[in-house]
Amino acid sequence: MLSEPRDGLLDRYQPGGAFDEAFDADGSVRDTYSRIVERFRELDVDEIRRLEKLVADEFRRQGITFTVYSEEEGTERIWPMDLFPRLIAAAEWDELARGLSQRVAALNCFLADLYNGGAAAVADGVVPRWLVMSSQCFERNAMGIAVPHSAHCNVAGIDVVRDTDGRYRVLEDNLRSPSGISYVIENRAAMAKACSWLFYDHAVQPTEQYGQMLRSTLQSMAPGGEHDPRIVVLTPGIFNAAYFEHAFLARSMGVELVEGRDLVVDDHKVYTRTIEGLVKVDVIYRRIDDDFLDPVAFRPNSTLGVPGLLSALRAGTVTVCNALGNGVVDDKGVYPYVPEMIRYYLGAEPIIDNVTTYMMWDPDQRREALARLDELVAKPVGESGGYGVLIGPHATEQQLDEARARIEAEPRSWIVQELVQLSTLPSVAEDRLEPRHLDLRPFVLTGERTQVFPGGLTRVAMRRGSLIVNSSQGGGSKDTWVLAPETP
Amino acid sequence: MRLGISYRMHFRYSEPVTECQNEVRVRPRDDDHQRVLSYRLTSQPQLQVFSVHDYWGTVVEQLGIRTPHTELELLAEATVETAARPEPAEAPAVSALDDAGFRLEHFEFLEPSQHVDWRPGDAVEQRAAATVAIAASVPEMVSAVVADVRGALSYEQGATDIGVSLAKLLEGGAGVCQDFAHLALGMLRSAGVPARYVSGYLFAADETSANSETADIVTVQTHAWIEVALPGWGWWALDPTNGGPVGERHVVIGCGRDYGDVPPVRGAFMGSGTAEVDAEVLIGRQSEDLPPEAPAPRRARSDVRTPAAPSWSQQSQQQQQ
Repeated sequence: MLSEPRDGLLDRYQPGGAFDEAFDADGSVRDTYSRIVERFRELDVDEIRRLEKLVADEFRRQGITFTVYSEEEGTERIWPMDLFPRLIAAAEWDELARGLSQRVAALNCFLADLYNGGAAAVADGVVPRWLVMSSQCFERNAMGIAVPHSAHCNVAGIDVVRDTDGRYRVLEDNLRSPSGISYVIENRAAMAKACSWLFYDHAVQPTEQYGQMLRSTLQSMAPGGEHDPRIVVLTPGIFNAAYFEHAFLARSMGVELVEGRDLVVDDHKVYTRTIEGLVKVDVIYRRIDDDFLDPVAFRPNSTLGVPGLLSALRAGTVTVCNALGNGVVDDKGVYPYVPEMIRYYLGAEPIIDNVTTYMMWDPDQRREALARLDELVAKPVGESGGYGVLIGPHATEQQLDEARARIEAEPRSWIVQELVQLSTLPSVAEDRLEPRHLDLRPFVLTGERTQVFPGGLTRVAMRRGSLIVNSSQGGGSKDTWVLAPETP
Repeated sequence: MRLGISYRMHFRYSEPVTECQNEVRVRPRDDDHQRVLSYRLTSQPQLQVFSVHDYWGTVVEQLGIRTPHTELELLAEATVETAARPEPAEAPAVSALDDAGFRLEHFEFLEPSQHVDWRPGDAVEQRAAATVAIAASVPEMVSAVVADVRGALSYEQGATDIGVSLAKLLEGGAGVCQDFAHLALGMLRSAGVPARYVSGYLFAADETSANSETADIVTVQTHAWIEVALPGWGWWALDPTNGGPVGERHVVIGCGRDYGDVPPVRGAFMGSGTAEVDAEVLIGRQSEDLPPEAPAPRRARSDVRTPAAPSWSQQSQQQQQ
């Protein structure tokens, strides 16, 4: 085939079997993307390379990296961002945001009910009692700890995908310490710097207000309605993969970043050591897992936490955000019941559906799912970040057999889902734009009230056909634009 | 029976400790068969105490101290009125254990737990299956398991540590009351009988023999036994360490899946030295005509050590014997 010198970046763009967010099945550009596609048609490979370098230099300068743990020790990599942004039209976003608010509201109701409300939903059979009791993350120490506004989850990251019909579906809920928001904001900053001209045609909702949103959310969580509460961000330390984000969040809220050893409990109150002496802390935005928070009550040999913190929580003198015990709803075994929670607590139909999920502890569902495991996806209930996931169509016979044996041996530890052909968007490949699969992690903040942060982290698989978008496994990201409503 | 209980824990540190935080579960509970007439927890130096009920309904007293100290003494004093606990009036059939509702209701006490770590097909389950094979009713199953545990283990202090696995315990063949309880729980759960761990005090000079007549005051450690759920009847308490019933001489603190849910003391201290702990329980029978009062505590003996500690260290945990 002859190479054509004037071959544009998008001239031979061919969406595959998945829903492409920029082009419809006939290959025509969808309205939302018409102007951005036009802009990219004007670019050539050299220009793309120049822009990519600008972005990478910017990330390098700012120290925007992430850690890959796959090798012996963690390796720092420059954060990968694809130049072609994701655009979400105002009306589409409104609907999605309503669905996310609804889901997080129901999950918060469930957590409040479970830990502080007598577990009515469990008694009424909405979620099986044994399933909750057997969750590794059901935290018995959280029982009875007061949570202002019953807002157990102050920062939720709900991973959504779009199926072949373009419908959004929830893939997983992250209600413990979802990370990624700092990359959302840094992506925008880098994009605005390198490609400011791309923004001229669009009214894009800003992202830099996240620190303010988080701060006001956390402020509303102070015990006893303290008006000017002392807030700290509690990090496990510089060796944590998300340390950059912890520091970023503390800076953008204008609060102190602390490690466990900087805090002290006295008379069942938490204080931070400062040069002026001990200062009482009202709200701890913690990015440490439950098990490590307090060596007295949890892992005895953990040095990351604050001895006596649980006693302060029980005494109600401090709020820990997110609350203890949220992991029970991150358990993928509980995920299939979220639509029922929405109906039970809110009396409404779910706005965003789950992905069709088979519960392996149900013998009929297990038999059916294992028979066609080569078409499905198997996930361990206790993992996140794509670890341990088996994608049937990409697995060997031997891998499938091993998975079947593991599932038969421990059915409570697995769910199996229909494979979703994640939607695609043009993404920079060798010398042109090609479709790559993506997902979206929007962030929902809940304190006295609930706010959905516009956009979220779009993660994109870098290899053709790959459905793995996790940055820990070679995925990249895209700047995500929520467009302001069209003004007539 | 009216019993006065005095539980003294004395921590001694080789270097000053600047801070320590503890959770204490030593207060006897109130239930249908025992009533707490008086209770107080005191300390030297004085600690800040905050008390709550935990998930299992046990009173947890949380103690913190932030002044340098080289010794810490905790003293819990209680007067409790106890009554005999009923023996099962009926003998539910083994098949009643399969009832789905019954199993769901007692789910947490049928599963393995941190210290009751049997697995399907392991030596504990096999031993249990062989032991209960010919039992015609649930109480018979339970009695057979308790008798088997007493055959499998000999009572020996110092033979085990708190973290011992059931497999190691069976291999070693010796242990103290919490080991007897954990092994019995593992065998019962693996055979489908819901069973839970009970932490408490036993008024007996010799824990291995519940019927021994004792002096007016005994010096012991905290004790542990078990309760099993009988379908259609309720919780039946048994003491695998001595094979006898749980009666007026047993005082319950609380129950849970295993020791880890009801440890008498759990904590951490900040210091560079080593810690030594003396702990003892004095229990005395009191006249029911007298106003409630605890017996005078006496000096304790030393038996647990922890390794050198540069920073936060785990407070020594007390084995229930």
